[in-house]
Amino acid sequence: MARGQTFVATRANTEPWWVRIALTVIALGFLAAFLVVPLVAVLVEALRKGWATYLAALVEPDALAAIKLTLLVAGIAVPFNLVFGTAAAWAIAKFEFSGKQLLITLIDLPFSVSPVVAGLIYVLLFGLQGWLGPWLADHDLKILFAVPGLVLATMFVTFPFVARELISLMQAQGNDEEEAALTLGASGLRTFWHVTLPNIKWALLTGVILCNARAMGEFGAVSVVSGHIRGQTNTMPLHVEILYNEYRFAAAFAVASLLALLALVTVALKAFGEWLEDGGVAAAERAKQVADSSESAATTSVPADARASRTLAVA
Amino acid sequence: MSIQIRHVSKQFGNFRALNDLSLDIDTGELIALLGPSGCGKTTLLRIIAGLDTPDTGKVLVQGEDTTDLAVQKRNVGFVFQHYALFRHMTVFDNVAFGLRVRPRSERRPAKEIRERVNRLLALVQIDWMSDRYPDQLSGGQRQRVALARALAVEPRVLLLDEPFGALDAKVRKDLRRWLRRLHDELSVTSVFVTHDQEEALEVADRVVVVNAGRIEQIGSPDEVYAHPANAFVYSFLGAANRFDGHVSGGAFHAPGLWHPMPGMAPEDASRAIAFARPHDLEVEHHIPGTAGLSAQLVRRYARGANVMLELEYEGADNPIEVELKREDAERMQLEPGQTLLVRPGSLRVFRQ
Repeated sequence: MARGQTFVATRANTEPWWVRIALTVIALGFLAAFLVVPLVAVLVEALRKGWATYLAALVEPDALAAIKLTLLVAGIAVPFNLVFGTAAAWAIAKFEFSGKQLLITLIDLPFSVSPVVAGLIYVLLFGLQGWLGPWLADHDLKILFAVPGLVLATMFVTFPFVARELISLMQAQGNDEEEAALTLGASGLRTFWHVTLPNIKWALLTGVILCNARAMGEFGAVSVVSGHIRGQTNTMPLHVEILYNEYRFAAAFAVASLLALLALVTVALKAFGEWLEDGGVAAAERAKQVADSSESAATTSVPADARASRTLAVA
Repeated sequence: MSIQIRHVSKQFGNFRALNDLSLDIDTGELIALLGPSGCGKTTLLRIIAGLDTPDTGKVLVQGEDTTDLAVQKRNVGFVFQHYALFRHMTVFDNVAFGLRVRPRSERRPAKEIRERVNRLLALVQIDWMSDRYPDQLSGGQRQRVALARALAVEPRVLLLDEPFGALDAKVRKDLRRWLRRLHDELSVTSVFVTHDQEEALEVADRVVVVNAGRIEQIGSPDEVYAHPANAFVYSFLGAANRFDGHVSGGAFHAPGLWHPMPGMAPEDASRAIAFARPHDLEVEHHIPGTAGLSAQLVRRYARGANVMLELEYEGADNPIEVELKREDAERMQLEPGQTLLVRPGSLRVFRQ
């Protein structure tokens, strides 16, 4: 979390050596058993029959279609959630209105509802026997078992990611800076662009990355609305399942490894963002130390909590 | 620019923040809105700025009704209690912000903006750290940046919301004196909100004492201190000993207290509260049998060159505070446990 700060060991926060070793072993062992081993297993299984099979499994038309569809669905759902999440967080954090608590609860709803139920909601709405089904059929609109349904289901399950990341941060930051900008003559849009956005950009990035990871990996909700039409409505997770059920393990693991790779890239991006931010903090700290040492004692030292809270928000 | 506030009321849910409040502020004045927290003073300031809108009533600046004018168009400088500096911008960019966001037609060339910002930074004595970020500054420095930023747009009025509230005592005192000098130099109409009576009395041309959404008294610092309009103003403007009693027969009566009230008709009678500042009370050793307010000395402590005494007597809710010269306290050999006779040198009586 606060990597920019130095940790000072004192008697009060130093445990006996065996406690420290035990805690470290437990943490690392847990990580190895539940994260590293499965990941390695996926890769090993994928490459068991050699590179040629691995690549063949990925460039096969159905697999390619699944990869394209996954990217398409994420490419629509994530920007939508970016806009919605920012707007919702802005409204919740900066304004007082009735029904605010209800909105916060609603935003969290997709986290508490099982993805399967989320998928079924859309079947109920848009299916042939559903409420809007006949009307859609009359107008020749396809939502269920087509891309729009996949996008809707993905949006539903990824709804909270960006908003949740931003709400607490924006609430903690308060309205003062925005109000200051307004009194200085800045328009609402300028205020958002020059004052609000720079303050939330790291949290926004984290939200988008997590949202993207979930959008690509979602299985349950998408499975219900997809209809499993090969080469048309199968996303990568669905494609993996089909391959697995057909005992084509090498191919299944190959596609799965690609999904896992996407997740790893996501995590790496997030870490990179944090590193950038921490680098900025460290540079500022250095500048401050240099300045302070050259400065008279008249300047009182600056509390680091502002920085700490920002680092916290990214973590 | 002069400001006229006309019958302004504001309600938050069940809480009445401002209650039909009217106030005239003259051009070039430095006014303090003084009152306890929750009295509505900050709400009034925000309404003048346009950050809040009144439920009823009007705000006029230089005779022009600004009640429905957007914040951006009001051209006010607002200084926030917690500075509200843009944390991702340098000191220079903070101060330049108001000049840079102007519409293209009104915006000055970059060179002019740079010169103006540098001049302002020099004025508030922080020009040597214009490329620092806000969290690399101390509280006092941040507040000066905030002030420079507010002044950069050449505001018609300068509004300060508890500007020194978050600073420690020493910095606060320096900044107070500095603000007064700055105002004398620039003479822009300024309103500042504070709950610290010392600050209001020291800095302002006129003090407006606000309580429960209404104005209790308006006057120069000397006026409000020496001639408080009512019991609230008296007790808010400094330490006060309170005595509940009544007036009758041309005098104030309270248990153990009797104080003549010249100019009052003997048949005039009502309940009343009397106040005395700690330095207005005198004490002497109690001799059994003498009439007067006898009280037990429970605590004695130093306050600068003087000595403070805390006395308790039967039927009193709060201890009496007396401030004495140190040599008097030494001469009388005052020790906790002694019984003393308390005599008010002067007493301020408010009839109810």
